[in-house]
Amino acid sequence: MAHDIYTTLFANTVKAGTILLFPTLGEIFAERSGILNLGVEGMMLIGAFFGFIAAHSTGNPYIGFIVGTVAGGISALIHAFISITLRGNQIVSGLALTIFGSGFTTFYGQKWINMSINNTIPQVSIPILSNIPFIGPIFFKQDLIVYLSYLLVFVMWFILYKTSIGLNLRAVGENAKASNAMGISVYKVRYTWTFFGGLLAGAGGAYLTTAYAPFWLDGITAGRGWIAIALVIFAMWDPIKALLGAYLFGGINALQFQLQASGTTIPSAILNMLPYIVTFIVIVISSIIVKTRHIKPPKELGIPYVREEK
Amino acid sequence: MLYFEKRPSVPLYLKILMPIISLAIGLIIGAIAIYITGVDAMEVYKQLFLNAFGSWYAFSETIVAATPLILITAGLILVFKMNIWNIGAYGQYIMGAIFGSYFALFMSAGLSKPVMLSLMVIASMVGGAIWALIPTLLRIFWEVNEVITTLLLNYIALYILKFLMYGPWKNPTSYGFPLSKTFPQTAQLPIIFEGTRITIGIIFALIAVFIVWFLLKKTRFGYEVKVIGDNPLAARYAGINVNRNIMISMAISGALAGLAGIVEVSGIIHFLQVKISADYGYTSIIVAWIAYLDPILTIIASLLFGGLSSGGYSIQISMRVSYGIVGLIESITLFSLVGAQIFLHYRIRWKKYGT
Repeated sequence: MAHDIYTTLFANTVKAGTILLFPTLGEIFAERSGILNLGVEGMMLIGAFFGFIAAHSTGNPYIGFIVGTVAGGISALIHAFISITLRGNQIVSGLALTIFGSGFTTFYGQKWINMSINNTIPQVSIPILSNIPFIGPIFFKQDLIVYLSYLLVFVMWFILYKTSIGLNLRAVGENAKASNAMGISVYKVRYTWTFFGGLLAGAGGAYLTTAYAPFWLDGITAGRGWIAIALVIFAMWDPIKALLGAYLFGGINALQFQLQASGTTIPSAILNMLPYIVTFIVIVISSIIVKTRHIKPPKELGIPYVREEK
Repeated sequence: MLYFEKRPSVPLYLKILMPIISLAIGLIIGAIAIYITGVDAMEVYKQLFLNAFGSWYAFSETIVAATPLILITAGLILVFKMNIWNIGAYGQYIMGAIFGSYFALFMSAGLSKPVMLSLMVIASMVGGAIWALIPTLLRIFWEVNEVITTLLLNYIALYILKFLMYGPWKNPTSYGFPLSKTFPQTAQLPIIFEGTRITIGIIFALIAVFIVWFLLKKTRFGYEVKVIGDNPLAARYAGINVNRNIMISMAISGALAGLAGIVEVSGIIHFLQVKISADYGYTSIIVAWIAYLDPILTIIASLLFGGLSSGGYSIQISMRVSYGIVGLIESITLFSLVGAQIFLHYRIRWKKYGT
């Protein structure tokens, strides 16, 4: 019996972690290219909203997931245009994107509040693997999107460290001018990965409303975008560590709900505060580690690139 | 091809036009957003304007909404000038409200109004300053990114408030609503214009603007802030104590946000509740930008966005247009403003290849 409780807890950890894993991976790649996007929370909201509406109107949660993902990517293009082409301040533009996502979804979401979708993304057990004791039900009795996220972590790690695409990406984030001299289009690289970051933020949001919490509420992402940005530092800009970080926080989320469901005496406000407190502590510890081990963020993170000035 | 040519100096007419054009773009795209939902956008804007500036009472409500904005933005200007990003005004505002309310709720017996209000004001400023100094110290000692920590502290502050409102500070006779007891008369800020809700808080706000203006324009501290903002490394070489200046500015910024919290709770709402702000913490970032980080222009920008906020609330009720429209207009204004900065510093030129 106790075994069941833990299996459920860990399986939910993976689910809740997946919501964070997508945006964290996306932001890692955007930041590696030199673009800091503080609009993750806004892009997630937009992804969650369009994902929800598409799933609601078509009855197909996969369509919802795809639509939400694309919507997140499109919203990232606003930030890309302002911070890459117009060289605007990335911090302020990112914040504007978050305010935009929140305002947009509040404005258009009014009539969808408290509606829910019936068909959520279904569970698909992987044969053989799902029969492994303990590990099986946690990692291999999930849905297709979770499997997609496993694949994505591996593919992104491979791209980043083993391909010329990744090499170019890292070069642009470290030294845009030298990359340009080597014939890499700085603008193209930055646009690509900022857009990609938006796609994944949208995916995280869409996964939230099409699989995890299949209803619409104002501000349903509840700060997960900010936690994802914090996780980038925890992960030290590495896709594999992002997986660990996302599951750590997924675990806190899952635990929080399990405790609430079990009728604990801990006030719900304290339980809800938990992820932010833990993120806060983790960000402090990882910042100290980053500092003492001399791990550097991408050198030109947040600095606009100006081609014309020599 | 198109290319950008650096301007030798920023022309004044552009500095004046830019915020106006940005706000206009925000309003135009906002109008399209409203139109799509099948609502008469012109009517919405007409009502918005009338409810913000159309009568003395409407305008007085705009001043009420602008007061916390002025207070918060005055502080933000100081830190933004040094490229320190305090995104935590919302949390500092809440902590100020909580600290100040403690006296109103639990220490009010036998205190005269001036003593009571002074205690509340000081407590709120201390509360806000503490909430701002935590991320500042972490940044100074361990280079912890203040954007993320100040933001997380917003959520932590909000849940502390929720905890208090649903638990120990809840009014037992509020029928389960998460509200505190109503503040006693002695703990309510006095109204300075009869028939409106404008309290002495607006005076605090104007004093805050004056102090920030004075600090920036007339003191060595202000000069150092400017140097740090232009080039922190050079400032360090010049012997400027960068960390000390960051700490002072953040403390002032947090204290003013905290003060804004108690001004709102003690002056307008008269009890503590979960929802005590109209996103002042985020709106003030836009106000600071649209005012070019200038204390005096802050007052004008705050009145504009205060009007947007108070008018937004009115149309939400009268025309059933979601308050989200305010965030939409604000964010698009901010996008245009940030994007348009380039035209301040560069001219767009056309050049043929090879010339």
